[in-house]
Amino acid sequence: MIENLQGAFSLLTTWNVALTILICSVYGLFVGAVPGLTATMATALLVPFTFFMDPVPALVSIVSMSAMAIFAGDIPATLVRIPGTPSSAAYTEDAYELTKQGKAELALGTCVMASSIGGLFGALVLMTAAPLLAEVALKFTSFEYFWLAALGLSATVMIASTSPLKAGLALLVGLFFSTVGLDITLGYPRFTFGSTELLNGINFIPAMIGLFGVSEILRNMASAHLRLPTTDVRAQHIFRGVGKVLWKYRNHMMRSGPLGTFIGILPGAGADIAAWIAYAMARRFSREPEKFGKGVIEPIVGATTANNACLAGAWVPALVFGIPGDSITAILIGVLFMKGLRPGPEIFARQPELVYAVYISFLVANLLMVPFGYLAIRASSTMLRVPRNILMPAILMFCVVGSYAINNSDFDVGIMLATGILGYFFEANGIPVAPVVLGIVLGPILEQNFMVSMIKSDWDLTQFFTRPTAAILGVLTILIWIAPFLPAIVRRLRGGAAVA
Amino acid sequence: MKISDSVVGAGFVAAGALIIAGTLNYPNLDAGHPGPSLFPRLLGGLMVIFGGLVGVGGLRARDATEDVAWLRLYRNSAFINAVFVLGAVVTYIVMVGRIGFILMGTLILCALMWRLRVRPLAALVVAVVFSNFVYLLFAKILRVPLPGGLFWW
Repeated sequence: MIENLQGAFSLLTTWNVALTILICSVYGLFVGAVPGLTATMATALLVPFTFFMDPVPALVSIVSMSAMAIFAGDIPATLVRIPGTPSSAAYTEDAYELTKQGKAELALGTCVMASSIGGLFGALVLMTAAPLLAEVALKFTSFEYFWLAALGLSATVMIASTSPLKAGLALLVGLFFSTVGLDITLGYPRFTFGSTELLNGINFIPAMIGLFGVSEILRNMASAHLRLPTTDVRAQHIFRGVGKVLWKYRNHMMRSGPLGTFIGILPGAGADIAAWIAYAMARRFSREPEKFGKGVIEPIVGATTANNACLAGAWVPALVFGIPGDSITAILIGVLFMKGLRPGPEIFARQPELVYAVYISFLVANLLMVPFGYLAIRASSTMLRVPRNILMPAILMFCVVGSYAINNSDFDVGIMLATGILGYFFEANGIPVAPVVLGIVLGPILEQNFMVSMIKSDWDLTQFFTRPTAAILGVLTILIWIAPFLPAIVRRLRGGAAVA
Repeated sequence: MKISDSVVGAGFVAAGALIIAGTLNYPNLDAGHPGPSLFPRLLGGLMVIFGGLVGVGGLRARDATEDVAWLRLYRNSAFINAVFVLGAVVTYIVMVGRIGFILMGTLILCALMWRLRVRPLAALVVAVVFSNFVYLLFAKILRVPLPGGLFWW
């Protein structure tokens, strides 16, 4: 372990990795602080650059960028009542009300410190849970992997969305995209329409850039409010009084850290859901729940701890099983495949320095968040003045060139455009986009493990339940599917019993 | 661009049916077990069911919450903005090989910023500087073979 830590440290302290952390931190802070740009979009736009990096800086860039972006979303939420990323939406009202009361400094200072603590907690869970789970995962066969993928997808649809039907449709679209190209059993071309470019399937990266980048640009350009409200709030002494607040509400942090990390581990649920649930939990345990939404610091402490803790949590299933915990780690898995690395328990044995580099980069990013966050808050009024009518065309240019750069192919630019239109249409009609991504990533895992299992069990479906772990995962998956119908079933059974 | 759930549901039913139809000629594995067709058919079938349920839900709720006035679409600035974005990317794909990245990038950026009411001179300056910056970053530093075309360095 010590050797691996030393190896990871030496990798992280090279000038190019240190520079990557610095640049990506600034990039993350900017993206987070500008409303309309999300951390997932920023990750998708980062991917073309990671294509040219070694694996360690590629992963570290995603870690540092996403950690900073989730925190920075709190800045416009506090100053102009527009959450920078969806993860800050839960407590925007409270944060902005505090600004109106002249307590913007306290709100922002609390956000940066609680985010950092939440992120560090998530990182510690990642460091302890991931290796333990990897030991277990080494014994998994195609049956367990099939059920894991099915469980992840089911959780995405049934738990992490407001409309399971629409999330299910989005997932099916993603899974369908994953079937395009040569199939795994006979090498037969599916849905290629004679195109040689489609034989290798729909390229993940342009699809990602389209779904998260172009669709956001379309949404922003369709909005009448391309100019953001400006602020003249000068936040200089942001740490004054923060220690007292954090100590007073330490119980919220102690609950929200594990909660956020757990939600991160749950496939499909991201930092935004973690923040909403932590907010609801803070209200439940508060002595003054009636003040929530009217400018109190209490819910902010818990929710902002949870959304940053969630980020590291999402890396646990991504690294150990290759099952993404949120849309950022879905993109991460694409990056790992692009680098020729297969996420899963073997990565802990074969490339331990890579895993340790991820651990340390989470710690470093969350520690750097305090000074960098301070500087970002100082520069916030300038960042909020960046005109979006210049920013959006510039981002579109990055989307186009980034999609092209992966295979030097205009066809990929077309894929980006098509998925961008699809993502925009989906969002406008209440169909979430994240399940599409999870479908594209998990589709091959699901199909391959299903077909391998079927062939080796000679098409005997009962074999999917004969191994203990597979049986538990299978039952859990089925329970998730029937959970919405359980109350009705119980009512009917009780009614029947009463009649009897 | 919100359209009613009944239309969305019908669209997914049609898409699911098309997916299943597309797999009808796929070969089977030995002993007649389904191979390449199995997974897409399952997906298509589920898409038909889920799409049907969304559509029926839309009909039951008498969901007519369309915010698209189809006949006045040409006056809808959000729609025109979206058309500009799509047109810009399609024009890029078609023309970049002929006139090169820098000129193409500058033209697209200028057109989009003009549409978004950026002052013409500011739009031109930003477009020229940004196109050259992207070209430097990707073509010169990252060695992506962006088409040089008429103006390149």
